[in-house]
Amino acid sequence: MENQNLLQNIFLKQFNESNAIAYNRNFVANPSDYNFQLLDNAYRFAGKYYAQIKIAIESNKCQSEDCAFELSQLKRLQEAPKASLDFLASLIAELNTTDEPNFDPNNNYKYTAANSIMMARPGFSKNDGYEVYLDLMQDGSQQIEFRGPVFKKKELVPFQDELVEIDIDDPLIINSASLNALTSSETSLVVSTPDINASMLKLLPDTGLFLQEMINENKELGSNAKISEEFVMKNSDGSFDYEIVDLGNGKGRNVLKYDMKKINQKVSPFVNAEVAGLMGSEQDVVAAWNVYISKDTSVTEDDQMVQNANAAGSSWLYERDLPLSPDKKEIFGIKYKEYFMNNYLNEFTKNQIPTVKEDAAVFDLAEAKKAEAQKFLDDNNLN
Amino acid sequence: MALGTMALIGGGAQVIGGLFGMSSAKKRAEAAAKEKRRLQRKLTNLENNRQEIINPYDGIQDLSSLISNPFANLSVATGAAEMKIEEADISLANTLDTMRATGASAGGATALAQAALRSKKGVAASIEAQEKTNEDKRAAGEQALQQQKMAEAQRLQQADVAGEQFMFSTRESREMQQLDRTAAMLGASRAAEGQAQSDRTGALTGMLGGIASTAGAYIAAKS
Repeated sequence: MENQNLLQNIFLKQFNESNAIAYNRNFVANPSDYNFQLLDNAYRFAGKYYAQIKIAIESNKCQSEDCAFELSQLKRLQEAPKASLDFLASLIAELNTTDEPNFDPNNNYKYTAANSIMMARPGFSKNDGYEVYLDLMQDGSQQIEFRGPVFKKKELVPFQDELVEIDIDDPLIINSASLNALTSSETSLVVSTPDINASMLKLLPDTGLFLQEMINENKELGSNAKISEEFVMKNSDGSFDYEIVDLGNGKGRNVLKYDMKKINQKVSPFVNAEVAGLMGSEQDVVAAWNVYISKDTSVTEDDQMVQNANAAGSSWLYERDLPLSPDKKEIFGIKYKEYFMNNYLNEFTKNQIPTVKEDAAVFDLAEAKKAEAQKFLDDNNLN
Repeated sequence: MALGTMALIGGGAQVIGGLFGMSSAKKRAEAAAKEKRRLQRKLTNLENNRQEIINPYDGIQDLSSLISNPFANLSVATGAAEMKIEEADISLANTLDTMRATGASAGGATALAQAALRSKKGVAASIEAQEKTNEDKRAAGEQALQQQKMAEAQRLQQADVAGEQFMFSTRESREMQQLDRTAAMLGASRAAEGQAQSDRTGALTGMLGGIASTAGAYIAAKS
C-alpha cells in the first residue's frame, strides 16, 4: 500500500504538471464531461420529500407520534443546504493540500485523485470513467463518494481452478460527520507538510548565537549576521585560534574556528522546544520526516528530488506509524537538530573570514608553516 | 477551473465562488489554530526546560569568624622586670655582704635598702605603663574588630539584597518576555482565526442566496 501511495501520488502529480494530456489525441478528440451536478443530484428529490413532510405536519397526518420523526426530518432538510456547503468547503480545503509543493506522497493517493476530480482537471471527467455523488443521510450527515479508474483495488478471485487477479470497485467515501470530527480535533484528512524552512529561519535568531544588533525588527537575521565572538575558539593569550584553508597555488588563508560543543549546548534547548511544538501534531511530524528530515533533503532541492529521495524505505507510514513510538520521537529530535545544523547553521560556522583585518589576508602557506614551527619552538623554549 | 467545478458541483457561480472562499478561509483558520497550538507547546517546553535562576551571591560566606583582635591577649613583658628586681636584690645582698665584711654603718645599709626599694618601684611603674599601653591597644583592636565585623555583616547583607534584586529582575524580565510573547502569539493567532471565521461567514452568507436556486423546489414548498 505504501509503495502504491508513493507511486500513484508521484504519477498523478507528474501527470497534472506535465501537460502530457494535451498531446493525447484520444483525449483531444473526445468531449470531457465534468457535469457531475453534485448539489442538483443530492437535492433532486428533496423538494418533493420536504413538501410531503410539511403537508403531513400541517394536515396532522404524521406517521409518528406527535410528528416527532417528521419534524426532525424537516429540520434536517432545512439545515441540509448549509451543511452541504460547509461539508464541500471543508472537503475542498482538505483535498487542496495535495496541490502543495511539498506534499508528502505517502498520503493516500485517492485524495490526490479526488482533488483532481473536484478541480475538474483533464483526465478526471465522466468520460474518463469518474463519478461523484453527494448523499443526504438519514442521520443528518452527508456523504460524498468518488468512483472511477483510480478508485479500484486488485483482488484474487477463483476462476476455473485458479486464482485470477481482477480490479474491483473501491470507492473513496467521506462522511461529513467524520470529517467534521477530525477537523474539530485539529486532525487533517490529508496532512500539510510543515514549512520547515520558515521554522528554521525563525529558529536561527532565537538560539542566542547571534548578537541582538544582527537581528532586524522582523526578528530575522540581517544579511551580514555572524555568530558572536563568544563561540569562536581563542588561544590562551586571547587571540583567535584559526584554521588554515589551502586555497591552492601554495596560498592559504585563516578562517575562524568555532566551539561547536558550546554552540550545541546553546542551540539544543531551542531545537528541543521546536520539536516539542511540532509533536503537537504527529501527522505533521511524519510529513516533515518523510519529505525533509529522514534524508536530510534540503529545502532548496526541487520537489521531484525530494520525492525521489523519500521514495525509499525510510518513510514513515501514517497508517502504520501513528501514534509515534518513543524511539521514533527520539530519532526525529536527533535528526531535526542535525538537519538544522547542516542546512542552516553550517553557513555561519564554515569558511568565516577573520574579523581582525591583518589576519584576513591571503598568505604563503610554506612561510606560515615555518612561522608556526618557530612559534612552537619559542613557546616551549626549544631553541 | 471555476467553470468546470461549477458544473461538477452545480448551484451557480455565487455558490462556487463562495465555496472556494469558504474553503480557503477554513484552511486558514485551521492553520492558525494549528500554529497557535504549536507555539503554545514550544513556549511551554522552553519554560519548563530553562535554566534555574541562580543567585550569583549565593556562595558568599560569613568571614567574621576569621576576624580577631590581634591585641586581645597581649602579655606584659614581666621577664625583664623580674630580672631587674632580681638584679637589684642580688646587688643589695652583695653590697650588704661587703658592708658587713668591712664594718660599714647601719645607716649605709638603710640607704642601700631604700635605693633597692626605689629600683623595685620603678620596675612596678614600668609594668603598669606596659599594662596601660596594652589595654589601650586591646581597646583599639576591639574597636577595629567591631568595625570589621560590622563591615562583613554589611557586605553579606548587600550581597543578599543584590542577589534578591538580581533574581527578581531576572525573573521579572523572563516573565515579562514570556507574557509579551504569549500575548503577541495568542493575539496574532486569535486575529487570524477570527478573520478566517469572518471570511467564512461572509462566503456562506453569499452562498446561501445561490443555493436557493439549487434547492429551490423544497425551499419554495417551505414558504
